[in-house]
Amino acid sequence: MKAVILAAGEGARMGPFTASEPKVMIPVGNRPILEYVVQALVDNGVQDVVLVVGYRRERILSHFQEGKAFGARIRYVTQTKQLGTAHAVAEARPHLEDRFVVLNGSNMVDARFVGDLIEQAKGPAVVITQSDRPRQYGVVTLQGSRVVSITEKPTQMISNLINTGAYALDASIFTDIERLAAEGKNDLPSAINAHAASQDVLALRTEGMWIDALYPWDLLRLNQAAIASTADVRAGTIESNVTIRGRVAVGDGCTIRSGAYLQGPLSLGAGCEIGPNAVLLPSTSLGRNVRIGALTTVANSILMDDVSLGASSVVQDSVIGSGVSAKAGLMAASGPADVKIEDEWHAVPQIGALLGEDAEFGSGVTIESGSIVNERTRVASGARIRGTVPAGGVVL
Amino acid sequence: MCGIVGYTGQRKALPILLDSLKRLEYRGYDSAGVAIVGSELKVVKDKGFIANLEAQLPAIEGTTGLAHTRWATHGAPSKVNAHPHVDCSGRLAIAHNGIIENFMEIRERMEKEGHVFASQTDTESLVHLVESYYDGNLETAVRSALREVRGSFAIAAVHADEPGRIVGARNESPLVIGVGPDENFLASDVPALLKHTDKVLYILDKEIVVLTASGVAISDLEGRTVSREPERITWTLEDAEKGGFEHFMLKEIFEQPAAIHETLLGRIANLDVNGFFAEGFTSVKLVACGTSYHAALVGKYILEEIAQIPASAELASEYRYAHGPSERPLVILLSQSGETADTLGAMREAKRRGCKTLGICNVVGSSLAREVDKTIYTRAGLEIGVAATKTFVTQLVALYLIALRGGLDRGTLGYEEADGLKDQLRSLPRAVQAVLNRSEEIERLAEKYRDAKDMFYIGRHVNYPVAMEGALKLKEISYVHAEAYAAGELKHGPLALLTPATPVVAIAVRDHTYEKMRSNIGEVVARGSPVLAIASEGDREIVKFVDDVLAVPELPGIFNPAPVTVAMQLFAYHLARTRQCPIDKPRNLAKSVTVE
Repeated sequence: MKAVILAAGEGARMGPFTASEPKVMIPVGNRPILEYVVQALVDNGVQDVVLVVGYRRERILSHFQEGKAFGARIRYVTQTKQLGTAHAVAEARPHLEDRFVVLNGSNMVDARFVGDLIEQAKGPAVVITQSDRPRQYGVVTLQGSRVVSITEKPTQMISNLINTGAYALDASIFTDIERLAAEGKNDLPSAINAHAASQDVLALRTEGMWIDALYPWDLLRLNQAAIASTADVRAGTIESNVTIRGRVAVGDGCTIRSGAYLQGPLSLGAGCEIGPNAVLLPSTSLGRNVRIGALTTVANSILMDDVSLGASSVVQDSVIGSGVSAKAGLMAASGPADVKIEDEWHAVPQIGALLGEDAEFGSGVTIESGSIVNERTRVASGARIRGTVPAGGVVL
Repeated sequence: MCGIVGYTGQRKALPILLDSLKRLEYRGYDSAGVAIVGSELKVVKDKGFIANLEAQLPAIEGTTGLAHTRWATHGAPSKVNAHPHVDCSGRLAIAHNGIIENFMEIRERMEKEGHVFASQTDTESLVHLVESYYDGNLETAVRSALREVRGSFAIAAVHADEPGRIVGARNESPLVIGVGPDENFLASDVPALLKHTDKVLYILDKEIVVLTASGVAISDLEGRTVSREPERITWTLEDAEKGGFEHFMLKEIFEQPAAIHETLLGRIANLDVNGFFAEGFTSVKLVACGTSYHAALVGKYILEEIAQIPASAELASEYRYAHGPSERPLVILLSQSGETADTLGAMREAKRRGCKTLGICNVVGSSLAREVDKTIYTRAGLEIGVAATKTFVTQLVALYLIALRGGLDRGTLGYEEADGLKDQLRSLPRAVQAVLNRSEEIERLAEKYRDAKDMFYIGRHVNYPVAMEGALKLKEISYVHAEAYAAGELKHGPLALLTPATPVVAIAVRDHTYEKMRSNIGEVVARGSPVLAIASEGDREIVKFVDDVLAVPELPGIFNPAPVTVAMQLFAYHLARTRQCPIDKPRNLAKSVTVE
């Protein structure tokens, strides 16, 4: 059995976090989302993986290489134009044999999810799940356990059963894909609809994990799932009077200063420096070389590589891109907010700040809940940020 | 890392083994050897390169054999410690990859039983142990021996009494079998097999495999048969190694943000050197060859600016023959491999003169690392492309770390200032990534300049040696003649060479030399030479008087060398590619130069 993972898309709805890497490479629990997908396949003995790459493909190639480090054998297919998911699968065809599975590289799944797909699907199958926001997805209409049709982003409520974008297919799908491509339809759900007209397509339910990231705040849910079962690891230098509770993974070369309080689950990448009396609360991931200043509190947040937070800062329910640096007293507290992404407003119940890579903050900056600061913005000391600040901007 | 290959079939084993062995060269090694079973067992081995071994090999008949590249762990790299190892009778030969933990107790036992050891290796104890169990069946002897062995291993064994048979086994070290028609192969890694077959069997831990020309039989340590179908490898040799990139060089260029990260990990807060920089010298001399010499030249500026320590750089081949003044500087030696002959010579000369020595190298346990007082490893990983890329950039990172630590320990750098510098170091991976994101734009620029016969690179201050590195990259891989000059020196001679047919790459990032660089670019433009400026993002002035601009993120002056170098690496790469040059293996050049 081989697997195709779709990883060519940019992920424009991810705000500043896809400025220099594709969505599938955004880290949650200190590993790219795509790594969980590859891992789930390898855990089920599926080692031959075809990765369809496109946007910033080099980031994926550099990380996964030939797959050896992940127990997989990875081949790459470049989709130069992101025409659609069916087109992406068709590009992978030369490397596939009769039966194969298709997964989306930006949906976090576990071994059970993939195991159910492989074991239960005897013919073509689609994995479905319940969703509380079905209108963002393809809603599946069923007859028993047979797929009748998939309706993309329906304007009216049909049901709450959605297509997860995970499929078991065989080469016969390519006939439908090619025919629809001639009509200008390049998405996989259309091909499945056509397929379902001529043969049984199983709608498969699973107890396995499937978490989608549509918007930046979804990353916090992925992160929680990723580090819920993190290994308890101690490395580096931990000074006296440090309190560590729950599962906390401390990477190589970390320095944790006296008086720090760490409540797991937490994941600290290698080379982090946690200042005296800093407080880290669940479920927080720190990337590599992150510096947390004295007396700073971070809760339920993702801080990517090389972030540097000055003393006496507060960061809650936030996603902070690589290399963001803030002098003392950054205030990014959580609260309900309306957030605008790609010209659409979203009511988010609990959100802190979304900060793009290499943004720089002076001291005493306050960021209102749900604000987005795009990459490489410079914010002067004492500023108060509300709404969205464009990339490379300067805030005085 | 060691590598093993084995062959049994109808063809002559020797050429197949040597060819397969070369495909494991990337794993790194310090000695190599072969064992062939024909009418008798013949073993030839030596320290050094496979080519070195090949040169002294007689034509050995025989259609079964094994070969090995060794990366020294127990016992120094030498002819006697090279594999394969033979038993007392000279009829059994074993090649081994990994470490046998309880080799001392086995060795003592075997010596008591009268076995005579030739080497200091852990492997040889296994050879004699197998010999002690041998009663005409190699497979059962290996099985009995392995039950007593602790550690990680992949082994391959042959016996003169059983021609046509290879016995292999693994535990925690890789071993794969290549299945062919009327012949079978064994190797540490798939690339060694792909030329001959795409059908492979992965051997798992605590399994024993017996190969003959006609079959492969796998069993466990208890002797129970294991059945497993071969898998088909659907990619080619080249893909397997390059992970989807067109060339190793491009792969390695794109690995630089990760390599910088690795080198920085855990060292920003505290480069752990036990006060090495605090005392014992008043100046620093940086000594190296080739690309590492350019890093040394940049290092002079880094150490002087950040740590306020007087520094100078010198070529290793010059330093070692110069008469040393009475001053005793700290001598920092830079070498990717840690085996560069001239740099080792310079290091020994520095020690003879009584200087403290510090090595910056990428290979753990290399000669340089073993002999200097202190080593800072760059953690760039394996570099296969002959043109150095990630190893250069990580050398710069090591120098920043040294300057930071040195400045703090000597009291010449304040803590406030150090914090600012640390934040800059943290941002370096993304500054480099920002340049990589412009790869396609750089490709278009390279196409525009592809027909140049001569090019000049100019820069000032820290960017002068960076210009030298840029020119070297272009020379090495695209064969375009390129020279670098300190921009202020143009009017003292080189201007005479400039014509509309000599493009000039000018490093004109915004630092304290920016205004002067603009005047120098003016001098060039006046001679009609096309100018490609490497400038800071958002510089709207420079576009007005140069032909092309390649933008790099704006950083404090001393941190510019990393992103600027990466821009020039990509320029050289794409230019060489449009000229269809053999990028990963330029003519006349070798990766690490271990001859003087």
